[in-house]
Order: sequence, then structure tokens, then C-alpha cells
Amino acid sequence: MTKHRYVGQNYPRTHETEKVTGKAVYIDDLKLPGMLYGKILYSSYANAKIKRIDTSRAKELPGVRAVLTGEDIPEVRVGFIKDQTVLKKGRVRQFRDEVAAVAAITPDIAQAALDLIEVEYEELPGLFDPYEALQKDAPLVHEIDARGRPMRSNILPLPWQFSAGDIEKARQESAFTVKDRVSTTWVNQCCMGPSGCVAEFDTHNNLTFYSQTNVVFGAKQRIADYFAKIGLGGKKIRVRNTVVGGSFGTKLDTDIYEFICIQLALKTRKPVKILFTREEEFKALPPRQPAVFDIEQGCDESGRLTFRHVEAVLDNGAYTSWGATTPSVMMMPISSLYRVPNVFFKATCVYTNNIYAQAMRGYGNPQATFAVETSMDRLAEAAGIDPAEFRYINRNQSNEQTPMNLKITTCGLAECIQEVKKKIAWDQKRGKQNGRGVGMASLIHVAGGARVYKSDGHGIRIKVDDEGHVDVISGGTDQGQGSFTVLAQIIAEALGFRPEDISFNIADTALALWDAGTHASRHTFIAGNAALKACQKVRRQIMEMAAKQMPKLIQMTIKRQSRKDPDFQPPDIDFSLLSDPNNLDIQERRIFLKSDPDNPYCSMDASTVLRQGLHVGTGESQTIMAEVFYDPPTEMLDRQFKGNYSMTYAFGTTGVEVEVDKQTGEVSILNMVAAHDVGKAINPTLIKGQIYGAVYTGSGYALTEEIKLQKGKVMNPNFRDYKILTAKDDIPIEAVIVELGDADGPYGAKGIGEPGLVPTAPAIANAIYDAIGVRITELPITPEKVLDAIKTKEGDAWCE
Amino acid sequence: MNNIDVKFNLNGEPVTAVVPVTWTLLRTLREYFELTGAKEGCGVGECGACTVLIDGESVNACLYPVPEIEGKNVQTIEGLAHPDGTLDPIQQAFIENNGVQCGYCTSGMIMSAKALLEKNPQPAESDIRNAISGNICRCTGYVQIVESIAMAANMQEEK
Amino acid sequence: MINYTYHKPADLAEVFGLLEQHGAKAELIAGGTDVMVYIKQSNHSAEALISLRNLDDLCYIQDNGDYHIGALTTHRMLEQSDLIQTELTALYQGASQVGSIQVRNVATLGGNICNAAPSADTAAPLMIMDARLVLQSSRGEREVAIQDFFVGPSETVKEWDEILTDIIVPKPKGNFGSAYHKHSRRKAMNLPIIGVAIGLSLSAESVIDDARIALTVAAPTPIRVPLAEEYLIGKTLSDDLLKEAGEMASSPECCSPRDSLRCEGWYREDMVRILIPRVAKEAVANANKKDIQ
Repeated sequence: MTKHRYVGQNYPRTHETEKVTGKAVYIDDLKLPGMLYGKILYSSYANAKIKRIDTSRAKELPGVRAVLTGEDIPEVRVGFIKDQTVLKKGRVRQFRDEVAAVAAITPDIAQAALDLIEVEYEELPGLFDPYEALQKDAPLVHEIDARGRPMRSNILPLPWQFSAGDIEKARQESAFTVKDRVSTTWVNQCCMGPSGCVAEFDTHNNLTFYSQTNVVFGAKQRIADYFAKIGLGGKKIRVRNTVVGGSFGTKLDTDIYEFICIQLALKTRKPVKILFTREEEFKALPPRQPAVFDIEQGCDESGRLTFRHVEAVLDNGAYTSWGATTPSVMMMPISSLYRVPNVFFKATCVYTNNIYAQAMRGYGNPQATFAVETSMDRLAEAAGIDPAEFRYINRNQSNEQTPMNLKITTCGLAECIQEVKKKIAWDQKRGKQNGRGVGMASLIHVAGGARVYKSDGHGIRIKVDDEGHVDVISGGTDQGQGSFTVLAQIIAEALGFRPEDISFNIADTALALWDAGTHASRHTFIAGNAALKACQKVRRQIMEMAAKQMPKLIQMTIKRQSRKDPDFQPPDIDFSLLSDPNNLDIQERRIFLKSDPDNPYCSMDASTVLRQGLHVGTGESQTIMAEVFYDPPTEMLDRQFKGNYSMTYAFGTTGVEVEVDKQTGEVSILNMVAAHDVGKAINPTLIKGQIYGAVYTGSGYALTEEIKLQKGKVMNPNFRDYKILTAKDDIPIEAVIVELGDADGPYGAKGIGEPGLVPTAPAIANAIYDAIGVRITELPITPEKVLDAIKTKEGDAWCE
Repeated sequence: MNNIDVKFNLNGEPVTAVVPVTWTLLRTLREYFELTGAKEGCGVGECGACTVLIDGESVNACLYPVPEIEGKNVQTIEGLAHPDGTLDPIQQAFIENNGVQCGYCTSGMIMSAKALLEKNPQPAESDIRNAISGNICRCTGYVQIVESIAMAANMQEEK
Repeated sequence: MINYTYHKPADLAEVFGLLEQHGAKAELIAGGTDVMVYIKQSNHSAEALISLRNLDDLCYIQDNGDYHIGALTTHRMLEQSDLIQTELTALYQGASQVGSIQVRNVATLGGNICNAAPSADTAAPLMIMDARLVLQSSRGEREVAIQDFFVGPSETVKEWDEILTDIIVPKPKGNFGSAYHKHSRRKAMNLPIIGVAIGLSLSAESVIDDARIALTVAAPTPIRVPLAEEYLIGKTLSDDLLKEAGEMASSPECCSPRDSLRCEGWYREDMVRILIPRVAKEAVANANKKDIQ
């Protein structure tokens, strides 16, 4: 690997110093003159008719500027399949249904106004089990769909079905088959920064929307669609982000509270802020999509996978956000994690009166990988093959195409499996069944963009001013992962400047060019590639300017010195060399002659050249700037859900050693090794930070986190009873970076944001099985589940 | 709603806050003094994002009744760096070692670390984890936060 | 509606005066980590909050023959006291696991006791020590044994105008050691699923002279387990003996752990049975540590 000046170094986060001095402005810190505070009244029932809403007392409260219900705003349907309105009219279908909204001069008054709103409901029986909701005679959660047509069942009209090869034939030819049901439940993204937004209209009803969205242009589009239906079609919309306190998937869709905020701003003609409390984060924010998988796999005598058959039921809740699209990502591990020639996958999304789900880090991959990797271990056991060896036999390799038509270019899965085996001491620790055990699981994820929209592009603009400052204007967003630092390193490397010369202006639709969004672990790859192309152009412009200006500047310097010192001997300089940009190079913002790099006369700071070359005079002035829109040559999935929707794929393996207390069912993680094939680590420290964070979230997913829903009501909407891991829940973890380079990535880099999380839960479940011979197929793996399983297995001997 | 006058020391300076008596220290800092470094991550003392130091001890400002601040020394993240802008070693270490990602928990995390290092300049890893066990983070998995605090301890020792 | 006047009395006489003035419309507040949360979550407050925080005279850890702990002593002070850690180890373990450091820096022992959650971390340790609580009011002073103090979840025998001022912990005799285990799902910021405190004193031949067992979250209030205690006293310590004590303590005669949002009853019951032998052994080890010191 080439040694670079900045790429590959652990450059610090100096672009984000405001975060350690308390100066960073998050949505909760944003204050606009005359700003009002919005609050939302939620439903008191999971399923009910709204008989009557009386807002008169709320409206009379001093300090209240607006009270809205479903009667006061146009009944426009929003969301992925347009199955809900912004404020619910006549009917509520889940506990978090938004029934009314208030804007007032202080948050306290807004809250007090909510208490004065009287709502009369007629409760209806609710459906809380997707399997019940699938029954033929089940009551309908929605009677009509978005187009006004009657619904015949609670099944969403989504075509999630994938098949490749001949499952039946493969089943007949299999030497071993296993069948399992595994399930995952709702978990919360737990961003430390609560959700919120500020909406402000100008006199002409153009909107500025301060947000935390991952997808500024997607948000703009959705708001524009909404505007078209409420009589504001064609109005300008500017979406701009504050500093974001984490996203983990919560900010990929435009949520109901955002539309409510816009309506309150429209009504009051003032800026309105809505800010969620932590309780609302748990109750009113869509969590991760739960899923139940029935998975069957087979292999031949030598352990080669023959088929994989998966059917999934997804509790869709009462309405629809991105949770219902997770099957499009689930297909990836189901069809392409390990080499399996015959695959069938069908996902059924069902309406219930539970809460609905959206994206969360991994976007369906953690759920599906839990199913696949549980089944892999079971099949390995049936075939009498060590689980690590079994995975190695079936590993993906470079330059292959999967049944989903994903083109695997670079693949470090073999290296990841081997590294994990070695570092977790697999051979020494495996198979003891003495309360300690090891397990592993792998992953595949998109790592070179993800063509989920027609365009998977990123527009970037890079300009350099006459002081040598580089301004980067990008349509991407940042949620804390360190994209400023990574891009600064890439751009500094490519331009020959220094990271500290580079400033960023991101996430503002008025300034930036279009970007599909910071999602699918795509930002470093896509924005990095766009930046590289722009840097090529900018660098050429600078060099051409240098070739023109440097000879003049050097001559001026020599003349000046000669005047000062009569004995001065002018150096012998070949000006014709200097006049050719191909003879010049730039490093750390210093331009120099390649053939004579140490000659002080033939080198100078780029800013000297730029000051001389920009704003020269009439007819000669120019800019140093380049704009690039990079859209990788990938495919959208076709109707069969096949297509190479990413330029490259990330692979990784996580190995875990656990100890199970057989009397309490408690699982301790003694050691964890997460090996990731990242192509090239632009900044190893930042990559490790992504891995550590993802692993901790994955461990919580495996062992302690769950939203406890009782008849549709969130019973643990706080950090006391929702068990996210603390600093004392120490997990000894080693992050292993495997760098094989990827020709398509910027300096060889692939994505890493989500992969760290994906295989964590199944690795832990597999380790528990090795430790005590008990397999838990339902997340989270709580001590109760473990103890219950031990008791079933060992009878009265469990407490010996 | 009654207002009260509360006189105390804020980041080394004597100040007076005139705020409703029912306000918490957190609200007073954020709205009266416009020091928005301390955050309301949960409002009920379960996440630590609002951690500030009172007489050197870490507390959740979201639960601290403002009348009790009278006469006390309050230190917030805004008071950590030197007047000339030089960062405290803890702040510096967080930047150098990726202890900060989204940054929302960072103010509270750094103040908890400050309370620790003032009393225990050479903490073991378990001391560090204990000191920040009341500060929740979703981004980092805590690993690089712990490393940053250890790095800051070494930086301080070298001075 | 949250609207209160806030009072900072300097001594007990002032406290009683304020209570007299505001009557039952007043609420006492010490560290505030319970009261402020209740106010926020219910969106409702008493008319007057009477702060006990400035009663510095009630903040102490003393050894006057018995141990005396002032009600305004914070959990952090208990956590950092060598005396508590060595002599009242179970109390040290309970106090040091309340909330977080931020909470423990302000939350008081008196507050934890009077809040009377069935899960209170200082309750089981104090119960095994047969602690006595001194309650003062304008009408005088009385002592209540901690075993008589809790009458229901969040309910105590303390009258509205009484202040808990002092916690008296009689010094146990002999080679006494104690331990407290807080069973929870992660390692910090928890309410326990079950709490077990045990105090044991052994003679030279490992005969149990004294045995005290207290459980929290196993009944509507913190409880002692006299049946299992009596079973242990006079017998020689052994794994089998402790196992039997655990089985006894987890039986319906001794405790009634229920299903709740946080945990199902069957698991709590199993944990009583499993944890008793473990905590007992830890108590014995703590007694031996004292010897060595």
C-alpha cells in the first residue's frame, strides 16, 4: 500500500472542536427571534374512534398562538405508502397517533395547553399480534388504502419476494437440512440528542426548515410533495441542518412531527420549534423493524450450502415508514451472505395497532443476519463440521456474482474469519460446553453506495480562495461519524493542501448540489469519490495558475533582493521549467518544482500564487473551483429484486467468547473480536470508533434492549427501564481492520458505518450455544430466557 | 410564578440569576445564561448529558433546584478551556482520540472526567469507567472515551 | 401545574415552623433526585418545598458505641467512608450502587429510606443491621425500628410533619460480616430486579452465631426472612446448608415476588434461592477481611 501523507493517518477531529467546548449548536440550542414552541397531543388508545375534540379551553390559555386538530388542516396523506395523515381525524390506530398540536410562547404553556384539550374516544378492540392480524377474519386496521380502495386484509401491498434457482431440487439433493424460527423485536435507536426541528416561513410562504435529517434533499422533496397538496405548490424550501446528536436511522424519513411543525409555523406566521422529550423519543419515534423468520437451509455432504429458504413476517404497526422496506436489504444477507446457489425469500408486512418502525443502523441486515447465522451454526452441527470451518467453506470470494446479481469485487471475508479464529483462540476454546464458549458470525453489507433511488449520486463543490482556504460545499450530512475529518484527509491528500486548510459547508439545500443522503454507509465512498474528482480539477487549475504566476513572482523576488543588496548573486533558474504545470507539485499547500524541491526560490505557499493569480484585473480574473456530480455505475434492483446496487460490498466477522452463569442465566462477554474488510482505512481511529459503537449497540440488541409493548403501549419509555449499555458494561473488544484495497473506493476505501453492528447478536447467540448447549432464537437473550432454556434442558439439576 | 435572585459563582465569575423559583440549574444555565453546553438528554437524571460540577462534584443539573445554587461554585463545559482559548487536556484528548462523535453526551462526559481527574490524577481504567457510568453514549461504545480520559491524565501529568 | 415556593430552613426549628405554616400542602425535599423527578413526570407539585439540604448538622457518620448516620448524609459520603466500607459493608455496597455518581453526590440516605421504594438499595442493608430510625417533629422525638418503618410500596409510618434525622445502627457482635447483591440487567444506573442483603457472624468452628437476611423487590416492602435466619443459627456453615436456606427463603412462606414490567415473579423467586448462598459466602469473606485488617 502506498504511504500517504494524510490518508491512513489518525488525524484528529479538529474540525469539530465546538463539540468539546459546548459551542456546537444542536436543534435544542437553536433559537430564532419570536420563536414559538410546539407540542403534540397523542392518542390515549391503541385503536379508537375520535368522537369529539374540544380545543376551546386550550386556545384561551394566555400565550397560546395556535391549536390544530385534524379538522383544521387539509387531510393529506403522507409517508412511504401514504397511509396516514399528519393529524388524525375521526380515528386513531396506535398510541402515538397525533391528535392535536399546540404552539405557544413557552414550552410550559404549550404543555399546559395540551392538558386543556378534551378528547372523547370510543375505544375499539386492538390487534397486537401480526399472526392474528394475518387471519382471514381479523378486523382491518385500515379499511381503505391510500388511493381510497377498500383493503381486503391487513397485509401491505408490498412485493417482497425473491427467488433464484430451484429450491425443491436443492432440498432433495441436500445431505443435511435444518429449520428454525428466529425472532427479533423492537429496539430504540437511542440517539442522545432528541428529535426536533424548527420551521419558519417568509412573507411569501417560502420555508426554511432547520432539521437533523440525514437526507436534506429527500426531506425537501417530501415537503415539496406535501406543499403541492396543501396549496403551497412551487414554494421554495430550504432544508438546513444543525449539528446532529446522532441518527442511527431515525432521520431518514420525514416524520409526522416535522409536518406538524410546518403546519404550526404556517398558522402562526412565526418560527416554531418542536423538540421531543426523551419519553417521546421512546413512545413517538419509530424504532427498529421487528421480524420473525422461518428459515431453512441445506448443504451437501462436504458442507457446501445448497439452498436457503426464508419467510418473514414483519409487524408493520399502524402506519408505514422505512421499516416496511427493510426486506429490500434483508435480501442481501439472505441471498448473498456466503455462497448459496438456490434462494427463496418472502416477507409479509402486516398492519397491527402496535407502533410502526423506521430505519435503524443496519436497516434489516441485523435482523436477517441473526436468522442466517443462527441457521448456519445449526447446519454446521447437523453436518458435523466446525462452525468456523463451515463458514470458511462457504465464504464469499472476490470477483463473484451472487444470486441477487451483486457483483463482489473485493472480498476480505476469508481474512476476517481467519483473524477472528486466531484472536478469539477458537480452536482452543471451542466445544467445551462448560459454561464458557465461543461463537462467530459474519456479514455482508453495501459499502459502495446503495442505489435505492434512481440516483445514488453526490454533488460536491470545492473552491479555493486567495488565502489558500479551501471551502467544500457538500449535499451530504453528518451525524457524528467524523465525515468532516475523513473528507478533509481525502481532499488534503488529493489537493496537496493540509486538512486544516479545509472548511465544510454541508447539509444546506440552498447551497449544495444534490446528494441521495448519508445512509447505507455510503458517505465516505460516494462523497469521497466525488471529492477526488473535484480535487483533480481544482489541482489542475491551481497548477496552471502557478505555472503562469510563479515565474513572475520569482522574478519580482530576485529584483527586490538585487535592489537591496548590490552583491546579491541571482540564482540560476530555468523559468521554462517553471512555466510548465507538469513540472510542478504541491504538498502541504506548498508548490514546488519537482526536479528541485528544496530550492527556496522555486517553491512558495499556494496562497502567494492564488493572491497573485485571482482578481488579476479586467478580463484576466478567474476562480479556482470545481463542481462534480458523482453517480456510480450501479443498478437499481429490478422487479425480481436483482441488481448490483452497490459498487462494492463490506464483509466482516465477529467472534465472541462468553461465560454463562448457569444459575442466573446471565451472559458475560469475556472477549470480542470484530474484523472488518474496509478496503482502506482513511482514518483507523475513526473506523475503530464506528466499530466500537456499532458493537455496543449490537450487544445491547443481543442481550439487554427491548421496547416493552403491552397492547400497543410502550411501557418502558425511559433510560431507567430501557437497558442501553453503560460504560461499566465493559466489553473487551478488539477491532481488526483488514485492508485489501478497493479499486473503486477513494484511496481504496469502502463503507463501515453499519457493518460493525450486523453480526454481533448471532455471534453472541452462537457463543452461548457453545458454552451451555442451549440456543436462544429470540432477541434479546435475557437471563430469563437463558435460565428457562437451561431448566428445560436440565430439569431439576439446573440449580446444582 | 415567583422569581428569585440567586447569587453564585459561575465558571469563576460571580453572577446573579433572576429566574422562576421552579427552574432547575439546567434551565437556568441554558436559558438565562445561554450556556447551552449542558444538554437535556432525558430531564430526569438518567443519562448524564446535563452533568456540571458544583464545588467540584458532578451533578445532574436537570434535577438541581436553582435555589440551592446560592453561594456555590458551578463549573460548566464552557468554563473549562483557558481564557485564551487553550483547551483543557480532557477536551484536547477527546479531539485527538475520537472521544467525541456526535458530541451530544460530550459536555457531560468531559465534566464527569474533570471531576475524576481533579481527585484522582492517575486513575485506573475501572476508575474511569466508574466515573462516567452515569453518562450514556450511543455513538462510541465508550472505548475511545475511556482512552481519551486516560490520555488526558497522562497529558496532565506531563505538564 | 408546577408552582411552588422554595424554602431553605437553617435548622430543625425552622423546618417545623414551615411545616406548621404550610401543613400537608408542603413537601420535604433533600437531594431532589426523587422529588424533582416526580414533579416533572406528574407535572404537579406541592405548594411549598421545604429543603433539608442545608441542615449540615444532620450530615455525619459517627461511632458512639453504636453507629450513627445523619439522614442528610449523601450516598457518595457513605461510598467514600472507610468506616462504612469496612464495618457496614452491605450498606456500602447498597449506597454505592444507587443511581450514578451524579445522583449519589446529592441524594441522601434519609431520602432513600423515606422514599420507601420496594427496591431501595439502602433498605435491605439497614434491615439486616436492625437499624433504628429517629423521627423528629414539633411534637417530640420517637424511634422506629426499620423493620416497622415500611408499610407498603412508597408508604411508611412517618407522619407528614416528621423528619427522619438519625439512623442508628447497632454494632453487631462477634465476627460479623455483611454483603449486599443488587441483581440487575446492566452494571450501572439500575433499579434492582431483586436485592439480597445478608449479615453473618461465625464462631471459630464456623458455627453460625448470627444470621440476618433481608430482601427487596420480593414483597411490597423490604423484608427480613426470619424463617431462614433461624434455620441457619447454630448450624455449621456449609454449601448444603446455604442451599437449603436459599430454598426456604424463596418459598411462599418467606417472600412473594411478583410479576412486574421489570421482571417476572418466577425469575425473582429463583434468584432469591440462588443468590442467598452466594451473598452469604461474600458476607463471610467480608468478615474475614476485617480480621486481616
